[in-house]
Amino acid sequence: MTDATQRSGDGFGETHGDETDDDRTAYDVPSDETPVECTYCGRPFESDALLALHRGQVHADVITDDERAAYDSAHEAESGQLRRFRLKALAVLVVIYFGFLMVYALV
Amino acid sequence: MRRRALVPGLRAVAVASVLAAVARPVLAHGGSLGGGARESLTVPTWLMLATGGAAVGGSFLLASFATDRSAIDALLDGRRTLRLPVEPALRLVAGALGVVVLLGVLVTGYVGPTDPLSNPAVVVVWGGWWAGFAMSTYLVGNTWPAVNPWRTVVSALPDFGRSYRWRFGAWPSVAGLLALVWIEVVSPLADEPAVLATTVLGYSAVTLAGAVVYGPETWFSEVDPVARVFRYYGAVAPFGRAEDGSPELRPPGSAVSSDLLDGVDEVAFVVALLWVTTFDGFVATPAWRTVARWLVGLGYPPALLYPGAMLAGFALFFGLYLLAARLARRTAPTYVATATLARRFAPPLLAIAAGYHVAHFLGYFLSLTPALLTAVTAPLATVNPPLLVVPGWFGGVAIAGVLGGHLVAILAAHATAFDLFPGRLQAIRSQYPFIAVMVCYTMASLWIVTRPDVPLPYLP
Ligand SMILES: [Zn+2]
Repeated sequence: MTDATQRSGDGFGETHGDETDDDRTAYDVPSDETPVECTYCGRPFESDALLALHRGQVHADVITDDERAAYDSAHEAESGQLRRFRLKALAVLVVIYFGFLMVYALV
Repeated sequence: MRRRALVPGLRAVAVASVLAAVARPVLAHGGSLGGGARESLTVPTWLMLATGGAAVGGSFLLASFATDRSAIDALLDGRRTLRLPVEPALRLVAGALGVVVLLGVLVTGYVGPTDPLSNPAVVVVWGGWWAGFAMSTYLVGNTWPAVNPWRTVVSALPDFGRSYRWRFGAWPSVAGLLALVWIEVVSPLADEPAVLATTVLGYSAVTLAGAVVYGPETWFSEVDPVARVFRYYGAVAPFGRAEDGSPELRPPGSAVSSDLLDGVDEVAFVVALLWVTTFDGFVATPAWRTVARWLVGLGYPPALLYPGAMLAGFALFFGLYLLAARLARRTAPTYVATATLARRFAPPLLAIAAGYHVAHFLGYFLSLTPALLTAVTAPLATVNPPLLVVPGWFGGVAIAGVLGGHLVAILAAHATAFDLFPGRLQAIRSQYPFIAVMVCYTMASLWIVTRPDVPLPYLP
């Protein structure tokens, strides 16, 4: 399954000139993994949620109602994860800021 | 004592704040600073490195709060195509100017004053070209294709148009860049005008021969390291060219978040550009002197010390960067190939390279402006021109350059990740390894600039 959907080939060095670079992204799927693939463009994804997000962003005008619903729920779930990430990031920033403030006061 | 001694009067730049130590390269290039800056620096080295690293990591965390795709896109758009009706005339003037300057450098290098500061070849090449012109390529836009005197000369010569082996890709230009910087470090290019002129002559011979054999388009887009440096710097600049070739105005740094590079060979050039800046400072540290003595004690030939260090350091940098690209597949997670990740996340590093260039050369350039004026008005007189004394607060501008470069790089990498990945959290996580590399690079650079400057060991 390796390079199953590699569309731009491995010869990046040969793609000179100014052809449109719409998608020169190469994919490399480990042989022991089974990706979910986009039925519209064949791009492999690690999870159904990422596939749903991709479909909603890239193929928004052609997807079915079910796929639209899957996108919405994946987006919603991701927003929740993102809120938790932001809280952690904020905590780290605060620790960095006051940590350095204290260290500079002591040194 | 090579380029470092060219401007001995710049000690005055005070290093006030912690990160101000970043400003030291200004002096490292301008004068033998010795312990001057460190005496005024009361913060211990470990804390300074930690602060630099935390500044980069913290900027990334701040950038991670921007997850709105339309907002990120809006930041990058706003490109405006410009009309430049006089462009052919400007090109003609720029080309002629380039050729005249090249001839002037060659002539005055051989017959001009031997005092480096009075010699137009030395002052024009280092102050005018490598400091001043290079800054214009990333602060304004890359005009090198129009100015490049060798291109102008070649256009008057026949074109054999031999086909270039594409599989070499950008590697010859990587080798060329490493070789040029090696020559710059080990030879008295800034002290002996004749040596400089001979080097320029050698470069001219190679460049003209190559451009005639392979055709100027191929040569200057693929092989010539100088043209590539300026083209890559130009990607950071606000003025550039749209896909149809017409001039455009864009937000500075927005171009480095697009898919600029053709392959891992071009990624290697970006990494080499960062590495040569570091190499220049590293070989003046006591640590390098210790390593060099130890190696020679083991029987390592002294003549191969600098080429060996140049290659080993480049291999280390490139290896670490590729490792980061590999790890990004896992942290994201994603099936996007390592080569694609390496290619897409490399252009933002150009902003960092530009930032360090500002820190190195802005003060140097300004201090040399009187010498530059003299070089143009009285090219053959030994006048010992004064050095412009750069005020103490100027160190802050150098810091702003380094921080600004990092900030642009982080934002560009962020935009790149959102372009590549459907998941917002995935896009943030994909950057972890690259941010780790940036933090390490910042700390390594800070470590180098806080070491005492020692004479380069094992050089004649
Ligand atoms: Zn798709």
